[in-house]
Amino acid sequence: MPVFITIALAKLILNLSRILGRGGGSALPGLVAERIDPAIGHKLARRLRDGSIIVTGTNGKTTTVKVLSKIFSDAGEALVVNRAGSNLSRGIVSALIEHVGWGGRFRQHRGLFEVDEAAMATVAAMVQPKAIVVLNLFRDQLDRYGELNSTAQFLGKGIAATTAQLYLNADDPLVASLASYAQPSQVVYFGIDAAPTAKLASDVTADSNNCPVCGRALHYSRNFFGHIGHYSCSEGHFKRPQPIYSANKVVLDPDAGQFTLRDKDHDPLPITIHLPGLYNVYNALAAASIALGMGATSPANVAQSLEAVEGAFGRVEKLSVKGRTLYLLLVKNPTGFNQVIQTFLLQEKQQNLLICINDNFADGRDVSWLWDVAFEELYTQSHSIAVAGLRATDMALRLKYADMPTSSITPNAKKALRQFIAQLPEGGTGYIIPTYTAMLALRKQLGRMTQLEGVWK
Amino acid sequence: MTAQPSTVIAKPKPRRKPIATKSREVVILHLYPEELNIYGDRGNIITLVQRLRWRGYAPKVIRAGIGDTPVIAKADIIFGGGGQDRGQIAVGHDLQRHAKALHTAAAAGTPILTICGTYQLFGRDFTTLDGTVIPGIGIFRARTIGSHLRMVGNAVVDTSLGQLVGFENHSGRTILEESQQPLGTLIKGYGNDGRSGKEGAVIHQVYGTYLHGPVLPKNPALADTLILAALKNRYGIEELEPLNDYLEELTAKDAASRPQ
Repeated sequence: MPVFITIALAKLILNLSRILGRGGGSALPGLVAERIDPAIGHKLARRLRDGSIIVTGTNGKTTTVKVLSKIFSDAGEALVVNRAGSNLSRGIVSALIEHVGWGGRFRQHRGLFEVDEAAMATVAAMVQPKAIVVLNLFRDQLDRYGELNSTAQFLGKGIAATTAQLYLNADDPLVASLASYAQPSQVVYFGIDAAPTAKLASDVTADSNNCPVCGRALHYSRNFFGHIGHYSCSEGHFKRPQPIYSANKVVLDPDAGQFTLRDKDHDPLPITIHLPGLYNVYNALAAASIALGMGATSPANVAQSLEAVEGAFGRVEKLSVKGRTLYLLLVKNPTGFNQVIQTFLLQEKQQNLLICINDNFADGRDVSWLWDVAFEELYTQSHSIAVAGLRATDMALRLKYADMPTSSITPNAKKALRQFIAQLPEGGTGYIIPTYTAMLALRKQLGRMTQLEGVWK
Repeated sequence: MTAQPSTVIAKPKPRRKPIATKSREVVILHLYPEELNIYGDRGNIITLVQRLRWRGYAPKVIRAGIGDTPVIAKADIIFGGGGQDRGQIAVGHDLQRHAKALHTAAAAGTPILTICGTYQLFGRDFTTLDGTVIPGIGIFRARTIGSHLRMVGNAVVDTSLGQLVGFENHSGRTILEESQQPLGTLIKGYGNDGRSGKEGAVIHQVYGTYLHGPVLPKNPALADTLILAALKNRYGIEELEPLNDYLEELTAKDAASRPQ
């Protein structure tokens, strides 16, 4: 089948699904195109003159892609980017179909794709990227992905199928160990040298903290959160590699972060991001490392773009509704939730929280992970916590066993949101903490109350 | 809903023999908390600790990993959870050091809860898909074999303690021998092997199950069975002070109603 026929058919489906208003056509055109020609993704991706960048890892994909898009677009480069969350093979093919001309040419020279960890083996082989960034590997939706070590193997397979430059987080032992799937010359590490915060006392998550050679527990000289930090094996098999791009002098506040980016080729670069938390320092550092590593633009421009980026869709959004300030903070796994606690919920006492836990397929059916979140840290904060969602009672029960009461238990998320906003004082601040499908539902409802940037307006 | 005050003191109970200890300590031994730690099973420890505290006891959790030397005989309750295959192979070998002590504890009626990976290792052995045989300690008359089917989903089990609800996620099939009593019969889910309709195993006060969720918070009857056995062994207590389990029951009902 000639490529242009596949393109034409898939484009028709894309336009039809848009007219019918079915989810904006983020997956179906790709699905159909791959049915017609299984190699269509590869055929289209190689038509991008400057190749592609893949961003993968458990937490921070969407934010990192958003930061990178900003850097490249500020540098005057248009990119083919897949939509947030449409990060399986079909989502990437759909993005390619959407942007390719009817004649099979791209106006853009480069692709930038967020790729699901489990899809990496096939997608990396298909796209043959110039660069792959691996942010971190935490357990996430074990009911869908199986074990974390299997996830690492999917990534390794994907890496081994390419000759891409690898940008690996030096501070995550499982991510750093992925270097074994590539030649040493392909590997570039980034990491944080020192941070103002340390792992929470009741953070018990350490999803991958043993030596990949001997299996012994790694020793940490610094442990920022989860299994992220400066580690070494006591038998000397394995230790944190020295990063080429490192963040120093990190300063964090609830709305922003600052750090100095160091690498051997440039002067120390002071960076400010309007994204909160140490995890976003990692995302910004990863994006800056790639942009500088690929010579996309000057360090000064990178810093300028980073400062202008706002939080990604539903990840960290700050909104104003009826004179109240609302934070929308997506949670998917214990490490992410612990980061939300550390960044937002230990600042002041008596904050207003709405935690909304769903167990739909896209959230993960299993809610066991709530028991590995460090809710005990909140005990002395005396927050007012409302719980909602399909598994509202599970959340309330988790809090009960951390000796904390809940102000209300409301399975219906929309009703819970209305009540939550209504009981916030004028000028007050509320923190809404939803799982993925709860975030989509709440965001839709919030969109009716205030102006929101987003995919589904 | 308010949290239970932590200072509730249980009514004095008749003791079979006077005890000389200063406070009513209860030792919970958590086996391999670092190696087998990714399925939220720590919630079971939190539940045991809190339900003891709420009744005025002083629980003490001892964590023992690979190479550690816990005194099994001093444990009032023993717990082990689920983890990744890589962790499980190392644990299987290390567990052999404690095999004799665990058999003694089991025969003496020490309450032991084993979930998923630890449950498998309390059987005779676990043969993985690639033919590796991880030795177990044979407290349960059962063997586990790896399979290509990942048995994942919400599960509901009918047991002598009432209905239990949880979430299973395993590919090992555990086959019970004729003489091995299961924990219960499945109402929903895959259970031991996806075929027999049975879930878990029980012998003396040793419970094995595939239920995460975690299992104890939503199934207080099982939590209290373990606690009562421990208090009976150590302090001669015959009956537990009831707690308000309204939220626990509501949560279990919600969980049981979710799709598999």
